[in-house]
Amino acid sequence: MEILRAEHVSYSYQTKYQKVDAVKDVSCAFEQGKFYAIIGESGSGKSTFLSLLAGLDVPSEGKIYVQGQSLNQMDRDAYRLNQASVVYQSFHLFPLLTALENVMLPMEFKKIRKKDASVRAEKLLKRVGLGERIFRQFPKMMSGGEQQRVAIARAVAAGGEIILADEPTGNLDSENEQKIVELLKELAHEDGYTVIVITHNQGVAAETDHVFRMTDGKLEQVR
Amino acid sequence: MMIKNSIRQLWRMKGRVGLFLLLLLLASGLFSLGRGFQAVNRRNMERYEDSFMTIGTVEQKADAVQEIKSWDAGIKDYHIYSRSTYDSYVPLSVLDFEGANYLSGPEKRVFYGAYNPDYVMYPRGLFGSILVEVTPPEDVLPDHPVELTVTRILMGNSDLWEGLNITFCNHYDPDPEMLYAGKTYLMSLQQRPGHDSEKQFAEDSPLEYVPYSMLESDQVGPEGEVLQDEVEDGAFYDEVTEGFYETRRGKRWMELLKTLDLDYTNHIFPVTGTNDIHLIMAFYNGDVWISSGREFTEEEYADGEKVCLINETFARTNDLEIGDSIRLPLLYANHRFPAGRRFGRNGLGVTPLLNTKGECYPIFEDGDYTIVGMYDGATGFSDEYGMGHNEIIIPTRSVKNSDADNIVAYGPMRGGTTSFQIENGTIRDYLEKWNQQGIDNLEITFYDGGYTQLEAGIENMKQISRILVAMGLILVLMVLLYFTWLFIIRQGERTAVERCLGLSKKKCFLSLFTGLFLLVACGSVVGCTAGNLLSREIAGRMGPVSYYDTSFSNGLISNEESVQTEEASEFPVEEVVWPIAGILLTASLISGAGIWLNLRAEPMDMLSKRGE
Repeated sequence: MEILRAEHVSYSYQTKYQKVDAVKDVSCAFEQGKFYAIIGESGSGKSTFLSLLAGLDVPSEGKIYVQGQSLNQMDRDAYRLNQASVVYQSFHLFPLLTALENVMLPMEFKKIRKKDASVRAEKLLKRVGLGERIFRQFPKMMSGGEQQRVAIARAVAAGGEIILADEPTGNLDSENEQKIVELLKELAHEDGYTVIVITHNQGVAAETDHVFRMTDGKLEQVR
Repeated sequence: MMIKNSIRQLWRMKGRVGLFLLLLLLASGLFSLGRGFQAVNRRNMERYEDSFMTIGTVEQKADAVQEIKSWDAGIKDYHIYSRSTYDSYVPLSVLDFEGANYLSGPEKRVFYGAYNPDYVMYPRGLFGSILVEVTPPEDVLPDHPVELTVTRILMGNSDLWEGLNITFCNHYDPDPEMLYAGKTYLMSLQQRPGHDSEKQFAEDSPLEYVPYSMLESDQVGPEGEVLQDEVEDGAFYDEVTEGFYETRRGKRWMELLKTLDLDYTNHIFPVTGTNDIHLIMAFYNGDVWISSGREFTEEEYADGEKVCLINETFARTNDLEIGDSIRLPLLYANHRFPAGRRFGRNGLGVTPLLNTKGECYPIFEDGDYTIVGMYDGATGFSDEYGMGHNEIIIPTRSVKNSDADNIVAYGPMRGGTTSFQIENGTIRDYLEKWNQQGIDNLEITFYDGGYTQLEAGIENMKQISRILVAMGLILVLMVLLYFTWLFIIRQGERTAVERCLGLSKKKCFLSLFTGLFLLVACGSVVGCTAGNLLSREIAGRMGPVSYYDTSFSNGLISNEESVQTEEASEFPVEEVVWPIAGILLTASLISGAGIWLNLRAEPMDMLSKRGE
């Protein structure tokens, strides 16, 4: 089932010196329970496109549809809170919150009772392969892999259907990279999430169901 | 939720939060301390402005000093006195110059003699003058005590009877005329305690009668010009011959007798007209004060209402109360001295009452005055600035008729009669402008009860306050800027992540703002309250010693002892609230600007950038 679709999406912005066309007439569709990779060179427009898919920015032209509804007509903050979550290369956990609190936070934003949020957060942390030892630890006390797992748990904590990951394994060693890719694959195939990752890593791309290549703002499906 | 999240994250930075609170507490405390001092200064100044007044008195300098020789038969020599003389009297109008900015005055006060036999003065006058016909038992030259036999008493006392031999000496005349036996002389005499001035009041020093001239008129014109009188200076007796009392001279003696019959030392009391009782130095100095009732209103001064203030003793003596009416028929006007100089000690109201026509002055103004207030305090010191016994104060404009034909004395402006009020703290300005007038024969003396020194002290305090406020403000700004950078600008990543997690910009704003705002609120409330309390404590401790005693000028309306520099009054909430509000507003603006900068950046840009 198609969950996310881009139609003739373009995005340009003005720098001090020139107009930059970061995304050029991109059309594509993403289905539920599938694992997607978008590959491309640095500066090709991958992150910008991901930002548009996350509703953090608005296309200059074209539209993005979420389950058939135009993102332009939606509350984009609510969209991120309820439907799409973003995972980053540098994890971006809240350094002053424990692993459990980091995962609970999106639920607290949704005003889910603290107790319920805590139970669900613990389950999620266990689901991404983290033991109780980690629950009360602050991010600086965790390894990169552990932090990314917490970040993924936080991404799915709010109960959305789309996970947008920007180079999620970029800062990880190969062992942790493999574990994270496996986790994302499981989330897609077993839990039904639509996972879209941006990566340079061909190995990661190889694990996905479909691969897009972004070149100079233009997107083409490779596989 | 946002508040909780905000506080929770701040709470995890206990060290920084603690440091922030401490610094903010100190900075806001310093700021509030300065503001507190400013408020204390302002309150004190307001109190002082109400309690202090700056009065200038004016005195014309003498053009020359004249030597007066007075013969004393007791020592067979002259006493030498000096008397100031004036070529002309400087008019009051010279004080009306550009930039003088008087609050009141200037005025040259006149006191009037009001005759009313329905009222008696207390203390009573001690005028020991007699008017008698005498004859010497033998020809005598009265350059020493001689005996005269009283043949007729026109005005006397209980110690005097016809046939009594009295001791007489023409004490003040170095070259007295012979008195011949068989002739009758009409004399105006006064008792003197003893012949020898050095042995006066000694037990063996016999009383003697000496000349006392009441026949000569002191009347002057409205500008002080001397009016010609037929009586020779010093004339005190005439030979009584057949038909003497029908002559012009004899009739004048009879007129004098009429004035003495008025018993005027007991029934003529001084009435001073003023446009502002604050200008009367006895009130200013606190020698006297309004003890009951009230002072005059501005309308009563302006409209010349017939209202008066009387002395408590005079009121008690004559059963007068506030609200009563008192009739004040004005007999004469004295443009030279304040009443205190004429109605003090033993000199109670002794004023020659004959005009240059040889007649008793006619009443020139008559009216019933309502007593609106009474004053109490010391009177009758016979000094320049004291109140006279039984002195009554009225608004100047209540005297409607001209006193031009009833002026018994005229003189230059002097401290006791001429004064004005200017704004506190403007003496220097006033004198600068006055000196530009080029009038150098007037001496202006200012009385401000220590206000000038006080103002200097307060100015120092103001300076300190300004420095404290400026330092406090700078510190508050620095602390707020630094910690806004620390807690907000550096939390850009947090904002970006929160936005990516679906928080709206508004909620992101609240997430960062509320915690900091609460911290600032706590720090500023505690700091400002402590600073204000400290300022009051310090001001309270140093006030009475570093500020100046103000009792000198505080006795005007009531007899309070002194002005309190800073009272232990209720805590002035508004003085603390405003600095707190100011700090909170500043913090809101600074942190708001910081958050705005955070929110302006695109989350993905920021997060991706950091990731690379």
